[in-house]
Amino acid sequence: MADPVKQIRVALTGNPNAGKSSLFNVLTGSHQRVGNFPGVTIEKLEGYLDYQGVRITVVDLPGTYSLTPYSPEEIVTRRYIIDEKPDVVVNVLDGTNLERNLLLTAQLMEMEVELLVALNMIDEVEEKGISIDTDQLEKLLGAHIVPTSARRRQGLDELLDHIVSMCDGQIEVIKNKMTFSPVIENAMEKIVALLGQQRELGSTNHRWLAVKLLESDREVYTQVRQYPVWVKVELVLQEAITECQRLHRTDPEALITEDRFAFVRGAMQECVRLPRATRASLSDYIDTVVLNRVLGLPVFFVVVWAIFQLTFTLGAPIMAGLQFLFELLARSVAPLLPNAMLRSIVVDGVIVGVGSVVVYLPNIVLLFIGLSFLEASGYMARAAFVIDKVMHRFGLHGKSFIPMVTGFGCSIPAIMATRTLKSRSDRLATIMTIPFMSCGAKLPVYVLLAGAFFPPAMAANVMFGIYLLGIVVGLWTAWMLKSTVLKSDSEPFVMELPPYRWPTLASVVFQARMKALMYLKKAGTLILMAVMAIWAASNFPRSSRLDEALVLEKARIEASATSPEVKAGELRQLNSKVQAAQLEYSLAGRSGKIIEPLIRPLGFDWRIGISLVTGVVSKEVVVSTLGTIFSIGRSDQGAAGLSSILRNDPGFGRATALSLMVFVLLYIPCVATLGVMKKEVGSWRPVLLYTGYVLAIAWGASFITYRLALLMQ
Amino acid sequence: MKLSELKAGDRAEITSVGAETTIRRRLMDMGLIRGTEFEVLRFAPLGDPIEIGYKGLLLTMRMNEAEGITVRKLPVEDRHQHVESARSRVRFFRRG
Ligand SMILES: Nc1nc2c(ncn2[C@@H]2O[C@H](COP(=O)(O)OP(=O)(O)OP(=O)(O)O)[C@@H](O)[C@H]2O)c(=O)[nH]1
Repeated sequence: MADPVKQIRVALTGNPNAGKSSLFNVLTGSHQRVGNFPGVTIEKLEGYLDYQGVRITVVDLPGTYSLTPYSPEEIVTRRYIIDEKPDVVVNVLDGTNLERNLLLTAQLMEMEVELLVALNMIDEVEEKGISIDTDQLEKLLGAHIVPTSARRRQGLDELLDHIVSMCDGQIEVIKNKMTFSPVIENAMEKIVALLGQQRELGSTNHRWLAVKLLESDREVYTQVRQYPVWVKVELVLQEAITECQRLHRTDPEALITEDRFAFVRGAMQECVRLPRATRASLSDYIDTVVLNRVLGLPVFFVVVWAIFQLTFTLGAPIMAGLQFLFELLARSVAPLLPNAMLRSIVVDGVIVGVGSVVVYLPNIVLLFIGLSFLEASGYMARAAFVIDKVMHRFGLHGKSFIPMVTGFGCSIPAIMATRTLKSRSDRLATIMTIPFMSCGAKLPVYVLLAGAFFPPAMAANVMFGIYLLGIVVGLWTAWMLKSTVLKSDSEPFVMELPPYRWPTLASVVFQARMKALMYLKKAGTLILMAVMAIWAASNFPRSSRLDEALVLEKARIEASATSPEVKAGELRQLNSKVQAAQLEYSLAGRSGKIIEPLIRPLGFDWRIGISLVTGVVSKEVVVSTLGTIFSIGRSDQGAAGLSSILRNDPGFGRATALSLMVFVLLYIPCVATLGVMKKEVGSWRPVLLYTGYVLAIAWGASFITYRLALLMQ
Repeated sequence: MKLSELKAGDRAEITSVGAETTIRRRLMDMGLIRGTEFEVLRFAPLGDPIEIGYKGLLLTMRMNEAEGITVRKLPVEDRHQHVESARSRVRFFRRG
């Protein structure tokens, strides 16, 4: 029997910015898979490599400072370690910031896992002249230490050697335990003894459970509380609290934390020599400018502006190029398909559908290149620091700002960018604010309507007012959500400002590629299906009577003996007339008529209703549908033509135009946005509720706008 | 006094950390425990949040979070090394 390939599972843990992701990347190269941890929208990165005939699977756990049950990252990390029992837990440390990093190490020691320490950023450690006595530190931590540099690819083989030999039992594991203050140790001993009596709790990890109980850890509380032994445990806990208060004038949770830091401080004193003169670093100088009272905000706005320009201005020509490619594809495929029905399905349905998914890719990739640069360089946290006060007014977080601004370009990358927010309620509130930021696709609608019904000077004011309205409604929504349904679980702002670092190109590219793939895989199919459904709704059912009439009319025009120009003109007119009639006959057209009573109070007739239905694909489609519907029986085409048609139409006036602009600003975000939203939120329910809310808001605001405008005329 | 009552440039030592559970624990896990000495480095341009420095770490928090932390203000003389660096930083900026 051949030996099965040996498999080892390794989990990477560490503080944010310790270099876990960088290490993960250099270890696993291109063998990576992105998933989610069950139940939460935290990315789970898994990769593998083969080393000396062993297949090593590496899981990159989220960066955490601690292992409390108060943040999803920390819960995910500890659940993974406890439930999945990885063969080796690699604790990645930022060697230049050991004191803070070792707190997590202390907690991993408490969990009694197979611990291996990667002393990362060793290049910077040496540069700064920090000396670390790794031998002594190994003894104190009860774990082997391998110095690494993810940036210089140093120490990787040693790390892998250690992992493999730890699993083979070739190197002895030097265990050392953290000891706490006597009060805590006493209580722990009693609790461990009690837990041992409860067979359902298994035989491992009792010490860890005891620490967590003393820390009032709500997860472990609920776990233990269901057993009869709880009654006795609770007594011990009560006693510990009184004792702590008496001897240390504090509670067990604080005392435990203080003990951990005392342990860390001891280790630091024994093993680490910091260089004598700690000169103010470059990082500090940068901060005196970037976070300056006067310059802080201007710098911030320049950075945000630059990100926006990078994403949308630089993205525009690429988007145009993609659009051109898809048109080219459509045009070259069309003649190959003889059957008109099939042609329509392939060209207008599939190719246009795929095109409308792919067209957002340049924006997504560019935005995430920019964002991961900001994140890895250390500026992102500072940006949040600078603008937090404003955002906090509306119940949001400083980090909500950049996604919101990105919303003015396009909601899709903007919603994906909310991942930088750690707390779920902050993320939800930000996500629900973004669609109100008037995106690029709504602009053509405003340009058409404002241009048609207002003199140029006024039109600009009207458009400005519309943008402002969006911001007001968006912020109001956030504020309302955060003071009602999303009130609980607000993320504390307590946040570290990491030292500035040059991000590595590899990690920036990696982030962008990962986002692009996630978008295509998760949201792409959903968007494609929705776009095709709307396409089908505006093309089916088809009226065969109209088709027959078209053929007859065509023959008549051909037969009548007029000049070719006249003939062509008549044919064009006929075509647009039939197109409009077919649209009216289709499902979308009928729903436009069905909703007419609902939108009548807003000043809309069924023709506008149809545009609103098709506009769900993307807001700019409102313009093209209006074009199709309103140019019935007229020969003049184009945007200029359409605006004069609208101006002269009895069903349209200034009041209707204003009302329609407001409605387009506020009503259902486009299907692509809904798709991404569903992906980021995790379930349909909130998305549907939100859609209902948005429709109600849009209706109300348009109604008021329409009535006011009528009064003022 | 409360941490939120300090001014930029002040040095202080933490005497106790009270606050809502989540925030309190986060503060403690970042090393803000009894006895930690720190310096208030600056306030955000709009006056909130606040940034403090200790043990080579820069930490920000909102004023309402800082309200839960009671501190003892330290006289300016007995400085630690890291505080020295923070000082020279401030001086550097004033000069430039
Ligand atoms: N000098 C140096 N820089 C490094 C090293 N490893 C990572 N970095 C840099 O440190 C920063 C943070 O690295 P990441 O890999 O994103 O850190 P992380 O631990 O994954 O952070 P989270 O994703 O927030 O958990 C990046 O700018 C990296 O380029 C290293 O060994 N030496």
